[in-house]
Amino acid sequence: MKSSLKNMVLTLLIITLVSSTAVGLVYLITEGPIAEAKGNKTTGALSKVLPEGDITNDPTADKQIVSLDDMEIIVYPARNADGVVGYAVESSTKKGFSGTFKLMVGFNSDMEIVNIEVLQHAETPGLGSKMGDPDNVLLVSFKGKSPANMKLSVKKDGGDVDAITASTITSVAYIDAVKRAYDAVLSLNDGGLK
Amino acid sequence: MGKLQTLTKGIIKENPSFVLLLGMCPMLGTTSSAINGLSMGIATLFVLTLSNIAISLIKDFIPAKVRIPSFIVVIASFVTVVQLCMEAFVPELYATLGVFIPLIVVNCIILGRAEAFASKNNVVDSALDGIGMGLGFTMALVLLGTVREALGAGSFFGYKFIEGDGILLFVLAPGAFIALGYLLVIFNKLTAKFK
Amino acid sequence: MSNKFIVSPSPHVFGKDTTSKLMRDVLIALLPAFVVTVVIYGMQALVLTGVAVVSCVLFEYLIQKFLLKGSNTINDYSAILTGVLLAFNLPIGIPIWMVVLGSLVSIGIAKMSFGGLGRNPFNPALVGRVFLLLSFPVQMTMFDAPDMVRDALYGATDAMSGATPLAYVKDALKNGCSVSEIMPNISYQNMLLGIKSGSFGEIGALALILGFVYLLVRKVITWHIPLFIVGSMTLFTGALWFFNPEQYMDPIFHILTGGVLLGAIFMATDYVTSPMSKRGMMIYGVGIGVITILIRVWGAYPEGISFAILIMNAVVPILNKYVKPARFGVSK
Repeated sequence: MKSSLKNMVLTLLIITLVSSTAVGLVYLITEGPIAEAKGNKTTGALSKVLPEGDITNDPTADKQIVSLDDMEIIVYPARNADGVVGYAVESSTKKGFSGTFKLMVGFNSDMEIVNIEVLQHAETPGLGSKMGDPDNVLLVSFKGKSPANMKLSVKKDGGDVDAITASTITSVAYIDAVKRAYDAVLSLNDGGLK
Repeated sequence: MGKLQTLTKGIIKENPSFVLLLGMCPMLGTTSSAINGLSMGIATLFVLTLSNIAISLIKDFIPAKVRIPSFIVVIASFVTVVQLCMEAFVPELYATLGVFIPLIVVNCIILGRAEAFASKNNVVDSALDGIGMGLGFTMALVLLGTVREALGAGSFFGYKFIEGDGILLFVLAPGAFIALGYLLVIFNKLTAKFK
Repeated sequence: MSNKFIVSPSPHVFGKDTTSKLMRDVLIALLPAFVVTVVIYGMQALVLTGVAVVSCVLFEYLIQKFLLKGSNTINDYSAILTGVLLAFNLPIGIPIWMVVLGSLVSIGIAKMSFGGLGRNPFNPALVGRVFLLLSFPVQMTMFDAPDMVRDALYGATDAMSGATPLAYVKDALKNGCSVSEIMPNISYQNMLLGIKSGSFGEIGALALILGFVYLLVRKVITWHIPLFIVGSMTLFTGALWFFNPEQYMDPIFHILTGGVLLGAIFMATDYVTSPMSKRGMMIYGVGIGVITILIRVWGAYPEGISFAILIMNAVVPILNKYVKPARFGVSK
């Protein structure tokens, strides 16, 4: 076809119109599933870190946002008829080896750590990334204990936490994120004791 | 050129990765494991086939001077469709491949085939060419992904066959270059006799 | 001889130096450092060096014979030198199979893939070391201090056991300690003698300097590259230290620790991978010094000299192209 100005403008107009309509249609179809997939990610992580037992509320609906050192920490309280049974806390730290990473820390009503999930990180594969493995030394150091009764630093610095071998920076950052999660719950109005 | 040859030339004789050396960015970036390579390959195969078909259909209506922007718009639309579908239906895969999916738009293979083949041939041949090239690309990605995963993590499609870690370097970027270099040598050595 | 005509610009003068003679001199220059290592670390140092040398020579022989099908090149000592340098860059506790793998990478990937001695763009021993460092970061950064070092250095506190002085200082600074709090744990005298933990060939500063003097006397290398590396490091760290002595270590610390002396004297000066002209050497040396300090002070790794040398190796072809030696007989 001849490359006259009218032809070119018209062709591009039609192509972009048809394309954007098609993309728009697909967006409408996938909008629901995408939102659902994103929601599933949060609730999946919540169910992994919260204590077992009856939870009658929707923790995502009751979430509270705490701001510590200019970073947002999201606290998801889990309740049943007897009151608060636990908290899941989405905490993050900037002290990682490769920048920010995000953890989901679960506490029970005694503020003991139930479980910790790594939500997002960019740590070195095979080194810092081990903090996401099931039963890694960091997780084991924290599981079932309350940060209130622990010295929150790595063993090398006289603390109670086993560091991942050759990944001290990641380990220190992990501890930092857990500590911030704990502080965030304590800073809530009910003091995290109910 | 016969129909069969149109389909199969992309797999060995004109393999986009090993012979034409196109699309090296996704090739190096996404192949840290075999499954990632396979997914990226299939996503590219899908976009390549559809864009080849679409472009060969509309090739007669596009003025020569605006053909490149037109092709890019078509390709980008298909890529967005793939991206949205992945995000909706396979979110885990989307989380690992996320950055590289939009980059399919600028993968030279796709624009290259649109320009060199689809804009000059009929729909059936273009579709076959897209499938063949896509398969060749997928094969190369799976091969590189398998090698890197086996050496770097000691596993095959996620199934561990050694205890502990492998040679970590192969999962990282420099390992991609080293492994690709040696795969190129082996591929060209093996296929030399067919030429 | 396969090609009878050698085309090269004048002057066409043949020296009596041969590759094997030069390589032998470098090996002799490494002897004092080797003795220090064996005294401090014992037999294990001997075993690891032996394994590295034997596997480098073996891989070179096998690749020449069966893959490249060329004439044998193992008699020129270059594979032996690669083996020794690779071993000198490893921590003492490394498993034997990793040494063999490192040798395979040094010889197979870094040297023979490019066509053998004279065609490799990167220093083979360093490629082997960096390959191992990235692949096995746990084993490559566990520096078990030998008993002698432990007693001499750390006494009752074991705050520094296992960490190299560089790693220790980097960690301490990152955790908010100031230089004056760190300094009591560091002794320059011990560093000179080799009583510190680190890769086992880089520990004895005096012994390495002795080797440097030997190489200068034998005219195997010129002073330019090592001096420009050390000089640029001194200026750079000196400036940082001058402005904030509580946050940055002094230049002496940076020069005596890690692989600076080993790298500057024995690896950056490798003929194949360093520039030919004096001005090229100057740019190359300053580049290595600056990149090393950038990595040490702001980078993720405590030590950066091996990365710095490899990065500058990549620049060498450009330096050789644009910074040519003065033409013979032409004065400016």
